[in-house]
Parts: sequence; C-alpha cells; structure tokens
Amino acid sequence: MDIKIAWRNIWRNPRRTIIIMTAVIIGIWSMIFLTAFMRGMVVDMIENGIATLTGDVKIYASGFRSDPALENRIRNPGPLAEKVQANLPADAHMAARIRVSAIAQNARHSAGVTLVGIDPAEEAGVSFIGDGVATGQMIRPGNPVDIVVGKALLEKFETKIGNKLILMSEDAAHEMASRAFRIRGIFSAELEATEKRFVFVSKSAARGMLQIGADVSEISVMLENHDRADAVAEKIAAAIDTEAYEVRTWKELKPMLKAYINIFDGYIILWYLVVFAAMVFGIINTTLMAVFERMREFGLLKALGMRPWRILRAVLIETAFILLIGAAAGNTLAFSMVYAIGQRGIDLSMFAAGFEYAGMSSVIRPEIFAGDVVLANAVVICLGLVVSAYPAARAARITPVEAMARN
Amino acid sequence: MSIVEIRGVDKTYQQGKVFVQALKNIDLTVEKGSFAAIAGPSGSGKTTLLNIIGGLDVPDRGDVRVDGNAYADMTRSGMAELRLCRIGFVFQAYNLLPVLSAVENVEYVMQLQGVDKKQRRERAVAILDEVGLSGRYHNRPAELSGGQQQRVAVARAIVSDPAIVLADEPTANLDSKTGEGLLQIMEKMNREKAVTFIFSTHDRMVMSYARRLIHIRDGEIENGKPME
Amino acid sequence: MKRIFAALAVLMCFAAAGHGRINDPDPRELVKGAVNYLRGKTSQAVVEMTIHRPDWQRQMTIKAWTEGRENSIFWIAAPPKDRGNGTLKRGDEMWIFNPKVNRVIKLPPSMMSQSWQGSDFSNNDLAKSDNIVDQYTHEIIDRQTHQGKTVYVIRSLPKPGAPVVWGMQELKIREDHILIRQAFFDEDQELVKALTMEKIEMLGGRLYPVKWKMQKADQKEEYTVLDYQSLEFGLDISDRIFTIASLKNPRL
Repeated sequence: MDIKIAWRNIWRNPRRTIIIMTAVIIGIWSMIFLTAFMRGMVVDMIENGIATLTGDVKIYASGFRSDPALENRIRNPGPLAEKVQANLPADAHMAARIRVSAIAQNARHSAGVTLVGIDPAEEAGVSFIGDGVATGQMIRPGNPVDIVVGKALLEKFETKIGNKLILMSEDAAHEMASRAFRIRGIFSAELEATEKRFVFVSKSAARGMLQIGADVSEISVMLENHDRADAVAEKIAAAIDTEAYEVRTWKELKPMLKAYINIFDGYIILWYLVVFAAMVFGIINTTLMAVFERMREFGLLKALGMRPWRILRAVLIETAFILLIGAAAGNTLAFSMVYAIGQRGIDLSMFAAGFEYAGMSSVIRPEIFAGDVVLANAVVICLGLVVSAYPAARAARITPVEAMARN
Repeated sequence: MSIVEIRGVDKTYQQGKVFVQALKNIDLTVEKGSFAAIAGPSGSGKTTLLNIIGGLDVPDRGDVRVDGNAYADMTRSGMAELRLCRIGFVFQAYNLLPVLSAVENVEYVMQLQGVDKKQRRERAVAILDEVGLSGRYHNRPAELSGGQQQRVAVARAIVSDPAIVLADEPTANLDSKTGEGLLQIMEKMNREKAVTFIFSTHDRMVMSYARRLIHIRDGEIENGKPME
Repeated sequence: MKRIFAALAVLMCFAAAGHGRINDPDPRELVKGAVNYLRGKTSQAVVEMTIHRPDWQRQMTIKAWTEGRENSIFWIAAPPKDRGNGTLKRGDEMWIFNPKVNRVIKLPPSMMSQSWQGSDFSNNDLAKSDNIVDQYTHEIIDRQTHQGKTVYVIRSLPKPGAPVVWGMQELKIREDHILIRQAFFDEDQELVKALTMEKIEMLGGRLYPVKWKMQKADQKEEYTVLDYQSLEFGLDISDRIFTIASLKNPRL
C-alpha cells in the first residue's frame, strides 16, 4: 500500500515529476554515455599503445631499454624464446623482432624511422602489423628487398608501391650500412605518428643489413587480457636469467598510458559528482515542494498515529520511484546510444590533431564498463535518497497542531 | 467509569508577540459511552481542549488521563500507539488522503495498526456499508461530496473499535441537512458499538444531538454537568 | 636469300651505331675520369659559396684540401660568424667541427642526407660523390659539342639493389674529362636537381670548371653556386691533415 500511495503521489503533479525525472535521465545518461566515451578513448589508447609494437609483456637484453642500440640486442635468442614460450598461457602470442633506428631516404625526401625486422606470420595477434597491409602486399619472409611503410610516410615521401626506399643505419660493427628496399605494401595505423615512424622488412633483410646473424632486439608477447600482464611477466622473469634480460609489462613500458588510466578514473568520479551536484538541487527542491504542499496530510497521518519513520519512508519511496524510473530510462538511453554508435565509432577527425597529440585515434568507440554503470546508478540513487532525506525529515517532524495551523 | 479525566489543565499560546491563554484550569471527566459536545464560540478553546484530549497537544500544566493512560507518563511513541489504536479522529476538513479511494483510506489506518490484508478489506467494506456508503468504496475523496467524505472519516475513526472518537467541528463545512445525517450516523455508532464520542461545535442543531453539553468560553468550562 | 641476310646485317650495324657508336670510349671510364679530373691526386682550393634563396642570399668562403676520391677536409674562412667550422670526409664517413663549442661530431646517418651548411649540397653529395662510378651502369646516349670539344651525354642507372636514392643520373662529360652537367632524377625519371658547370677556365695549371651551380628542379630562385677563387693540384699534402685532430685546428 505504501508503494501504491507513493506511486499515486508522484503523479499528483505530473509536470514536476517529469521535469525531475528528465533531470535524472539526463544525469544518468551523461554519466554513463560520457564515461563510455572516455573509456572508449582510454581503451583505444591502450589498444593502440600495446599494438604499436609494445605488447603486453616485452623481453629485452639488459640495457636495451635505456639505450636501444644494436649492441644491446638479444644474442642467440633461440633458448630464451623457448623459455618464454614455455611460460605463456595457451592463448598468448609471441613475436621476436629486430628494431633499430634508421634513415629512410629517396630522391626527394629523407626522415628518421624505426626499422623493424619481422616475420609477418609471427606478428599476427601481437601487433598491428600482424593484421596485414592496407594496400599492396605484406613483405615476404626472407625477402631481402621487400619493405612495408605507413601511408603517411608514403605520402610524405611522394612515392608509391614498387618504388625504391633507401635505408641507412649503423651496423653491428658501427659501419654505415645502407640498403635499397622496394615498397611492397602500405599499412595504415590509427595514428599518423605510427605510420611515419615504422617501416617493416623481413628479419633476414634486417639481419643481413645490420650484420647481426640470428640475433633479435626484443621479444614481444600479446595476451588475451591486458590485466594479466603482471602475472605473466613474473612467471617469465622467474624462468629466465634476469641479469641478462629485462622483462617489462606494458604498464612499465608505457607509463603515460597507466597515468592516463588513473587520471581518467579520477575524472570519472569527479564528473559523477559534478553531474550529481547539478541534479541535487533539483531533487531537493522538488521533494521540498512536494512535501510542503502536503504538510496537512502529514499532520493528519501523524494525528492518526503514524510514526515519523513511516512518514520518512513514504517520502523516500516517492523519491526512490523518481530516481529508479529516471535511472532506468537514463541507462536505456545511454546503452542504446552506445549500441547505436557501436563499432562505427564517432569520428572526431576535425579535432584530430589534438587527439593525435594525446596518442588517441580520431574515431572513438564508446565502451561501457560494468563498474562505471554500477557507480553512476549508485551515486544517483543512493546520494539522491540521502539528499531527499532532508525534506522527508521535515515531513516526518511536523506535528498535527502545526500542520492544521497551516492553510 | 470515566474514559477521560482532566485535572487543572492550562494552555497558553503565543500568537506573534501576544500570549493567548486558550485553556484555564480545566477540570473535566467524560464517562465511557458518552456522546458529548464541547460547545462554544470560535476561539473559546474547543479545538485546543480536543487536541489535548487526543494527545495532539501538550498542556502547560495539569493531568490528562484517557482510557486509563496518564499522558504525563507516556513516551511520544506510546502516544502515537494510543492514538492509532484507541482514539479515532474526525477533523473539520482534509480528513482523507486524496490519492486513496474511500475503502483504501479506511484500510490504510488498519494497515498501520497491523491488521492483516484480508480482514482489512472485509472490515472496511462493512463499516462503509454501515455509514451508508455502499457502492462508493472506490471513489476518491474528490469524487465524494463533503458529507460523504466526513462519513468516510467517521468510518475510519471507528473501524478498529477505539475507546473514544474525537471530532473537531465535523459538520462545520456541511449544510445542515447533511450535518444532521452525519450526526445520526455518529449517534448510531455510539449506540451500536458503545464508542465514546466527543465532538466540538458551535451549531445549535448539533448540540441538540449531544447527550451531554460542555460549554466552554474564554478557555473556561461554564457547565460541566451531564444533561442525562 | 643470302643477299637479304647481308642487307640485314648492314642495317643492324647502322642501328647499333646510332645507339652508341663503335668507336665511343667506355662510358664507365669517362665517368671515372671526370671524377678523378675534378679531384686530382691532391688539391687545395679556396671556394666562395653563394646560397641563393628567393628572399635572401648568403656567401661564405671555404678552404679545402682533397686527396683522391677518398679524403677531403674543409673549413669556412668567412664570414667571421662561421669561421673555423670544419668538415672532414674519410671514405663514406663525415665529421664536423664547431669551434664555438670546440667539439667534433661524427655525422650520424640521419644527418647525411641533410643539406651542408644550408646549401643545396647534401652531406651525401659531398661524402658519396664517387659512388656514381661503381653503383651505376653507364651508357652513352648522345654526343654534343661544347667550345669545339665533343661532349658525351651519359645516362647512369643504378645497379639493381644499389643503395642509392636516384632513379637515374645524366652526366655530360667533355672529351677532356671535364664534367659539364650532372642531373639527378627520381625513379619516375623526373629531374630533382642538377649541377651545372657554368664557367671553364685555366686554374691551377689546367682547364677547370670554376663556377658550379646546384639548382633544384622547378626552383628558379633556389640555388647554390661554388666559385673557385684559387686551386692548386699535386701539392704534397701530409696524410695527417685528414684527421680529426687536424679538423680541430683550422688551417686558415
């Protein structure tokens, strides 16, 4: 009966109820949708960061991280790779690469790049290059002249598939090594910086140019779940010689990403509180108005012997109704918008320069995190009830004599 | 056997900067089964006296005992319990919850008393039949006339067999014919269910139904003797 | 039937002659000769370099010593602001010296393709000017006449896999080994830039192109001119001059 009374009471003034419900809907919607939006950006940044030749876990020779020079390479990587492989979960992927800074040059242009020697099959599921090329063909394993470059680099160099690209780098003997490659394919990445930075050749081409035998620069591991990186890294570190090799997770390799995640978590809470603060005044105001209008009724109920806590409860049930209906509609709206946007994402390329700077791509695919949804709803409903306790207490404290003196 | 015993009750209100003495040294005893009217002009202290009997207001001085309960010794929650179970109220207006139908208004009090759901409905319907509201069970107060609303209030007041029903000018907003109908119902309930009724009024017709008249003027009782 | 074959043979001879005449010199030797002629065994020169741009122009004086195709060292003598800046080339490697910070820097690969002192010559132009001989295959495609002497027009195409950026070079070399023009093309055979010898005079005891002009294609107002003030060949130059220690002590 309390529920029935509350339900009827909130519809005594439909306009007011609808206005406050709308505020709750917009509040919840903005919390969930905009959080999903931010989460999408962060997830995107993480995925980009990890897929851009970082991986969840990376194994180097000691010293490579502070000085990524050729002498800090992994010599004779076979046994190490076997040990790493033996300590990976079944669904993980692993790739060994050669990576060195180099100069790319053609008749008109030159630029510093990172020359990466890969086995394309190995990179599948490990890095973005494993997804293949956007145009042309992937490099062939063992081919000495194939090279795959980014779309942005190709445009910058005013060149095309089939053309020559000269790469120069210092080899293992500190001699200048240069080699002519032919552009076989073009990759496209979310970030222009990635497209300009990396060029891919076969491992054997890189090894031949750099005179490093069968050595590699790094072993990169990709897991199904990025959160398991620490555990896997520990397991690998326990199995290998940590004097000679370093094991690092993406959180250590990309401290900026980790920092972004923490900042975003903080933003989300702050954002919730800001949105809620905006709603609070609406909720208190409406509830106060609804209570003051009905003081005589509360007085009557008190006279009839109703306890104050039951009056408090009755008012809170009414607020709860408004909050719950508003929350349900707000959730529905947010979820359906996220669903509608789906994998297409929202293209913000008109502001892309700024996003690029922050390491984000210009197409954002909102991602709903269960924890955020729970938090948003909990904030609105719990805090909503807490703040409406004040008008409810005013209703509960009224005495029948006071109430009847009102007119 | 007395159901209401009042000894030496004073009550002073502050209205703005002026102190108004609403009740002066009131002594009053009302017997069980009475059908008593507190009569007097407006501002004489009728409502204050009823409120004090009903435990809605607290006297500055003096003792109040209702149905064997000394108010001075009771907690606030005990008072609420007493009002809920032992005292029925009928006010001048705004007696009903506007969002509930006639039968729901009656049931609601029973729910607060903890009566189970099935019994509530049966008893509410029965009492509405007795006050002559068969067929109006599901009308909201706004769909009922003033007289009908007051009859619902009477039904609600007596549905749980209280020791006493206090009615503050129950007919004030009704025309005389309707008022008379309401009083007839109240009297019938008083007779049939042996429920004590105390009501305030300044209407001669209403006074004529009372078996005891308590005249009050400027906060003092002029004539406390029973008419019977 | 026999007569038809004979006629065909004669025609083919003519066709071959039109393409590159039987008595033409070996094009590779021509190119090698031209490079050696420019360098001499040893040389010492004072060159005035003018960098011209649409809205400004800069001049500097350079003192240079060279030894064969391998080694060279040069310092800027003027203007005073840049005086003492030096460049040492040994084989394919280069070092630069800045007197203000008194430091020698080995040019990393990233800087090899950058312009030297803001001119239209890249460090690579200076360091690798001799790889034209070995990294390319040469073919005489035409003959012209210049100041009464025969000029061979040579088309040089990079050998397969050669780590050179040009798609083609076209050289005009006079029969007396003087390089008249060197044009650089990209892979689409489009001209990128060209070095033109504008004046040939007696200098240092032999005929020498005394005014070099390097100009980018399509950029009329952007070029660099090297103007030889003095030049001597066959000096007895100590090997010690082409060292890093010597680079730090400008001989000006």
